[in-house]
Amino acid sequence: MTRHKFSKELFTRRPGGEMPVIVAAQNENIQSRFVVQKVLELREQGVPLSDIAILFRSGYLSFDLELELTRANVPFAKYGGLKLMETAHIKDLVSYLRVIANPRDAVAWNRILLLVDGVGPRTAERVLEDILAGRVKAEQAGSSTTLPAFWSNFHTFPDRLGTLFQALKDAAHEHLMPADRVQRLLEYYEPVFTTRYDDYHKRRKDLEMFQQVTERYRSLSTLLTDLALEPTTDSVTDIVDPGADDEKLVLSTIHSAKGLEWHSVFVLYALDGRFPVTRAAASDDTMEEERRLMYVACTRAKENLFITYPINVYDRETGMILSKPSRFVDGMPEKLLDQWVIDEE
Amino acid sequence: MKKYLLKKTPFAEPPQETEHHFQIDYRNQLNPAQFAAVSSVNGPHLIIAGAGTGKTRTIVYRVAYLVELGVPPESILLLTFTRRAAQEMLRRASMLLDARCEKVSGGTFHSFANLVLRQYAPLVGFDSSFTILDQGDAEDVVNLLRTQMKFDTREKRFPRKQTLYDIFSKAVNTVRSVKEVLGTEYPHYEDHCDDILRLQQAFEVYKAHHNLMDYDDLLLHLRKLLRDAPKVRETLCARYRYIMVDEYQDTNLIQAEIIRLLASSHGNVMVVGDDSQSIYSFRGATIRNILDFPDQYPGCNVIRLEENYRSTQPILDLTNEIIRRARD
Repeated sequence: MTRHKFSKELFTRRPGGEMPVIVAAQNENIQSRFVVQKVLELREQGVPLSDIAILFRSGYLSFDLELELTRANVPFAKYGGLKLMETAHIKDLVSYLRVIANPRDAVAWNRILLLVDGVGPRTAERVLEDILAGRVKAEQAGSSTTLPAFWSNFHTFPDRLGTLFQALKDAAHEHLMPADRVQRLLEYYEPVFTTRYDDYHKRRKDLEMFQQVTERYRSLSTLLTDLALEPTTDSVTDIVDPGADDEKLVLSTIHSAKGLEWHSVFVLYALDGRFPVTRAAASDDTMEEERRLMYVACTRAKENLFITYPINVYDRETGMILSKPSRFVDGMPEKLLDQWVIDEE
Repeated sequence: MKKYLLKKTPFAEPPQETEHHFQIDYRNQLNPAQFAAVSSVNGPHLIIAGAGTGKTRTIVYRVAYLVELGVPPESILLLTFTRRAAQEMLRRASMLLDARCEKVSGGTFHSFANLVLRQYAPLVGFDSSFTILDQGDAEDVVNLLRTQMKFDTREKRFPRKQTLYDIFSKAVNTVRSVKEVLGTEYPHYEDHCDDILRLQQAFEVYKAHHNLMDYDDLLLHLRKLLRDAPKVRETLCARYRYIMVDEYQDTNLIQAEIIRLLASSHGNVMVVGDDSQSIYSFRGATIRNILDFPDQYPGCNVIRLEENYRSTQPILDLTNEIIRRARD
């Protein structure tokens, strides 16, 4: 008979210890705020930030938490997977938003111009010159097929630029919520995105996640400020000497956390459909590997283990609402896993 | 006078030293399961090292133990997943015992393959001065051929260099055909299957012609050498009498076969790992290697390290239950 595992029963001679906890949060942001508050509490109790880790199944699952940590001024380092703002496709999308908020943002302009088929660095430079000289604005761009009349007098630019300007114009309407702007931009960006990235089907989750994050914002500039304040690798914050206060909270995918250990570990998004991922149901083997991932995540903890999950998460892929805890920890006896619910002040 | 040739004994002599004379008090510095693992010498051994149970410590002590027994350090081969891991373990073994442990042959599967192939490359059709392509280099070669073969001017989008190389590499590491890889990972490129195969063939020809090997080739050619050149295999089996492999749950089928071939004459192989922590199937690792080890090596001794030095008991009670619920 085929063997599927070597049974094992780990034990320690060390006495005592706190019960592991599973925490249900009413939504994703409450999950993030719970983690931030608990991390700060632990730090008050003398646990260094670098001895605390937030672990998750997939890189994109920490995006909301990253924003919340930035807001609370908690420094963190992320391992495995990219930070929200470092993924090329999110950078694309944010660049559209940036030129809407600030039409003179040359860096963002450059990025989105180069995304247009047929536009190379030299064309982009000429278009940019026109924009910065005030000769053209997104609001006065022409129809979807013709270039602004002004331009056609000077240069020959690809027609597709007209489509870009139309899309920006649509998304630039006053009184639009950030999430609505993103929705309109996504319609334009979709074909760009699928042409640009061979693995677009893997990246699509990030866009969904980003859109979900923007739903919490009422103002575009606040959203962009929160995003920009994140410590990205190429920002000035890396040049400044970090000094003695260098300790950072660890955010990591479970794959990248293998072999490591921390005083306190949070397993984020232990939500069935996210962890295990929905597609794992395709075979017993992949589902069992997801279980082992949960095992690896939980065995990283020395003293404290918090497993958290949000409820009422809409899954665009299946059209389902996800609300159940990960099947790997669901239905655990209470003597093994303490259950917490969050009450808001 | 007639010469009578005495044949070499095929198996290692039982080591001569006894525990009595050892510098290190293994029994007292290790827990009983760790000691059982460390003092297992000849034959195949599988060490199931649970999370936080002192796996590295066990490997370090076993290296020292073998050396104290009188095993020549250079005849011990320690394979790990990063070079740093091997260096760190041998450094610790040297601190524990003495500088002899530095002479142990340690490295990754790839660095070991490189070492062997530098000596025997002509037997697999390469010059010993072959160049190793890292991932970026290999992708550039793929891109060059992609352009030369005019796949870049297709009306219908053809996969980019990174994607193509990922497809080729996945096929090698998971022992699947390009078609199968396309079916599961890149179904939207299945239409291009024939062209991708042509490109793959051109890639192979290019590498052979220019004396280039990528990381996957290192493993493939080492396996080929061990399979097809019995004399070399015997030489290597005689050179490395004791084989140790760390993180065995993360090995792929090619690596497992390399170990099988290297241990074919003496069977002295200790693999260490934890099936419950096998999480790299997307990179080609197969949990079957560790699960089937006892069946592939009859007489295998299985030792479980279960005393944990990391977590509190309440955490272990939960994690034990998570894995107890796994499929039997």
